[in-house]
Amino acid sequence: MESIIIAQMAVSGAFMGLVYALIAYGFQLTYATSKSINFGQGELVMFSAFFSLTLINVGLPYWLVVPGGLLFGAVLGLFVERAGVRLALEQKSEGWILLTIIIGLFGFSAAENIWGRDDRPFPTPISSDSFQVFGVSITPLEISVAIGVLAVMGLIELFKRKTLLGKAFEAVSADRDAAELMGVSATRTIMLSYGLSGMVAAMAGILVSPITTVGPTMASALILKAFAVAVVAGLDSGFGVVLIGLFLGALESLASFYIGSGWREAPGLILLILALAVRPNGVFGKASIRKV
Amino acid sequence: MLVVENLHAGYGTSEVLVGTSLEVKQGTVVALIGANGAGKTTTMRAISGMLKPTKGRVILDGKPVQGLDASRIARLGLAHSPEGRKVFGPLSVEDNLLLGAYSRLPLFFGFRSKAVDDLERIYDLFPILRERRQQAAGTLSGGEQQMLAIGRALMAKPKVMLLDEPSMGLAPVIVQEVFKTIRRLKESGITLLLVEQFAKSALEVADYAYVMERGCIAVEGSPAELHKNERVLAAYLG
Repeated sequence: MESIIIAQMAVSGAFMGLVYALIAYGFQLTYATSKSINFGQGELVMFSAFFSLTLINVGLPYWLVVPGGLLFGAVLGLFVERAGVRLALEQKSEGWILLTIIIGLFGFSAAENIWGRDDRPFPTPISSDSFQVFGVSITPLEISVAIGVLAVMGLIELFKRKTLLGKAFEAVSADRDAAELMGVSATRTIMLSYGLSGMVAAMAGILVSPITTVGPTMASALILKAFAVAVVAGLDSGFGVVLIGLFLGALESLASFYIGSGWREAPGLILLILALAVRPNGVFGKASIRKV
Repeated sequence: MLVVENLHAGYGTSEVLVGTSLEVKQGTVVALIGANGAGKTTTMRAISGMLKPTKGRVILDGKPVQGLDASRIARLGLAHSPEGRKVFGPLSVEDNLLLGAYSRLPLFFGFRSKAVDDLERIYDLFPILRERRQQAAGTLSGGEQQMLAIGRALMAKPKVMLLDEPSMGLAPVIVQEVFKTIRRLKESGITLLLVEQFAKSALEVADYAYVMERGCIAVEGSPAELHKNERVLAAYLG
């Protein structure tokens, strides 16, 4: 019986972990092209989720809500790039850190004013009636999270490997100056990465909201763990974030069951500290060689 | 084809170029030689837009291009094979070549089939690249990376090509190989501005040459004329 409970906790947690992985993947996309990330990514997840909820309330069918939400996320991502990140990158400063935090805080206040402070349910046509697999109950909703996360990541990886624009994306992350000499505009590639990253964040919001509900504070819980996953896995391995995401999701679920629900955040933070102390480039990260 | 007039450029407050002027006529190979730190690479960077010139003009095929982004200048027909080769290490050899033709291929689908003939042309020029087409560019030897960098620049079918220090860090045998390639490219009618430490070899392939000293052109002339110039002879060709 005990082992079934452990398995149940681990599996349910792992599905949540995939959402962390998806948000962490969004960090990787922008880091690859510009060595910058959006510290307000959690608010972007929340804002897109609220927007999608509004679309549902307006009466749009779910299958139109998803592309609508993704498009909105991409636009938000582009906004963050234009209004914040680019200003700092043009001056070769690290100001994007503060600027993205500030834009995130604006997003938080705006969401509170527009949609209120309460957590709201996010209706979905996907059933949450569970079925049994080897004694572990799984819901179609959880399966949809897994499919959604892996599909988005799979499509973006396919884009990077199979299209010339995707290869240009890789070229900018390998050597920005050389890519410019090929006629690839680094500025546009960075915009593209922020658009994709915003879309990925919106997808995470749409997938996770039916499970966790939507509220202005959902950002902080998600973002911290996405950071943990990104730092532990390293900022250049898409495969790594999935594995670490699954692992962290399972671990925090077990921790909240065995130690107490207040300890839910602990495993992520401990992993984060350990990773920064022992392997700052991440478990799957390449050691960066700094030429001096 | 390429005209540079009174170019000034530098890094921060230190000015490296103080009024460089040169011209590369269509179908000619022009060598830019000079000591370390004379400003040869900076000239190249200022022409291709990697570095914004503070003063002066760069005219490519009749159009002024100074101050434009490097990617714009590249799309207007200038291919710069930079110092240190700068191949895309994690990408395959073939992907590197395809990116060379980025500005004239479709962005999503069908780019590979459209580039087949050009790829074949490069593979015939550098058979070693055909063997290594699927290999990550970062795993190639220095000489092979230089071949790839030249091939990548040729993929653009540029109006003007800038080639910066192709012999840097290569074994003498490989350097000979590189110059053999440049000679073949010259026979095919390429318009090339070549920066080289090996002034002797550069002058053997060049139609015209400029000698740079402290940020501007000190001497210019055909290779034969430079060979008669005692100062150049002593400083660079001794």
